[in-house]
Amino acid sequence: MSTAANSQTFERLVRPHFDRLYRLAWRLTGSKGEAEDLFQELLIKAFGKLDELVHIEEPGSWLSRVMYNLFIDEQRRFRRRRLHTVEEGQLPGEGLAGLPGPGGPDYDNQRLEQIRRLDAALAKLSDEHRIVVLLHDTEGYKMTEIQELTGVPVGTIKSRLHRARARLREILTADGTLS
Amino acid sequence: MQTDEMTNEDLEIQKLLKDYPMPAAEAGFYDQALARATHEGSKRQRNRWLATGFGAAIAAGLAIWMIGAIFLANPDIPAGDPSLPGITMALEEPHTVNLVFASARALDSATLTVSLPAGVELAGFPGQSEITWETSLTAGKNVLPLTLIALTPTGGELLARLEHENRDRTFRLQVTVT
Repeated sequence: MSTAANSQTFERLVRPHFDRLYRLAWRLTGSKGEAEDLFQELLIKAFGKLDELVHIEEPGSWLSRVMYNLFIDEQRRFRRRRLHTVEEGQLPGEGLAGLPGPGGPDYDNQRLEQIRRLDAALAKLSDEHRIVVLLHDTEGYKMTEIQELTGVPVGTIKSRLHRARARLREILTADGTLS
Repeated sequence: MQTDEMTNEDLEIQKLLKDYPMPAAEAGFYDQALARATHEGSKRQRNRWLATGFGAAIAAGLAIWMIGAIFLANPDIPAGDPSLPGITMALEEPHTVNLVFASARALDSATLTVSLPAGVELAGFPGQSEITWETSLTAGKNVLPLTLIALTPTGGELLARLEHENRDRTFRLQVTVT
């Protein structure tokens, strides 16, 4: 197959899954820069496995697993990129200030403050707990989908989800976000 | 979804999380990523290890660096050496420490090594008492969040050692576990 044909085949297989994969990358890494890096690494790796990819029945699930494994395998490399300047405003929540809201400035301010507190609370969770609660409660993944993605048994996922919610509730109650 | 097992409090948390936003990818990002993957993917994979091997040589051309002070989020009074900054953390509760490095110049290919006290682990690196990775610093303050988990009440000293070329600087943090 020619290079152009390879590129076209690759794009046809992966593009329909871009939005979901980008969201997964964001939820795994927690920042724009790291999410973009992870997304890019996935595409490079997947293109190198095009011969395998063309025979996959569900490319979306396969790509998600590859991304997750890439994240775990190279966590050390991605972790290093958590070094960033304070002044760049990349701390969680700060990039959301410009999002338009439906309820006017007061509502937006309240909402932004709530998001910042949630950011801070999520940052206090372990990676395992944070990823499970974000995939399940925010992204709507089913337990079985998380199991397929992470290889972690459903029982463990349930336990992590329960603990993560309990810890979030504790933190958010303490800071007044929840009553 | 296990909604039948959820309490009202769980539902409240879930509602909050369901509305947790994230920005969409920037316009053109997908196309750029796709182009890079198809045009450079194979080549980049082949050259990856080669580039890593020459990292030190590349770093040799960079300016002399200087690391300033270290500041810690929520510093508590340590139980040990009172001259050390310190934190107090609960057993088996993840605790995130923000290490802030002030660098006079941008740096590439610096090496950061974190040595953990006995019984303390870095989230994502179970069973490892020392973790090393390469990093880049921008001019100004650089933040490194480290999520620590204490598995025993021992505590001790955490060392964060930054190296660049033949220079290094070590920071010490007293970790007290309650």
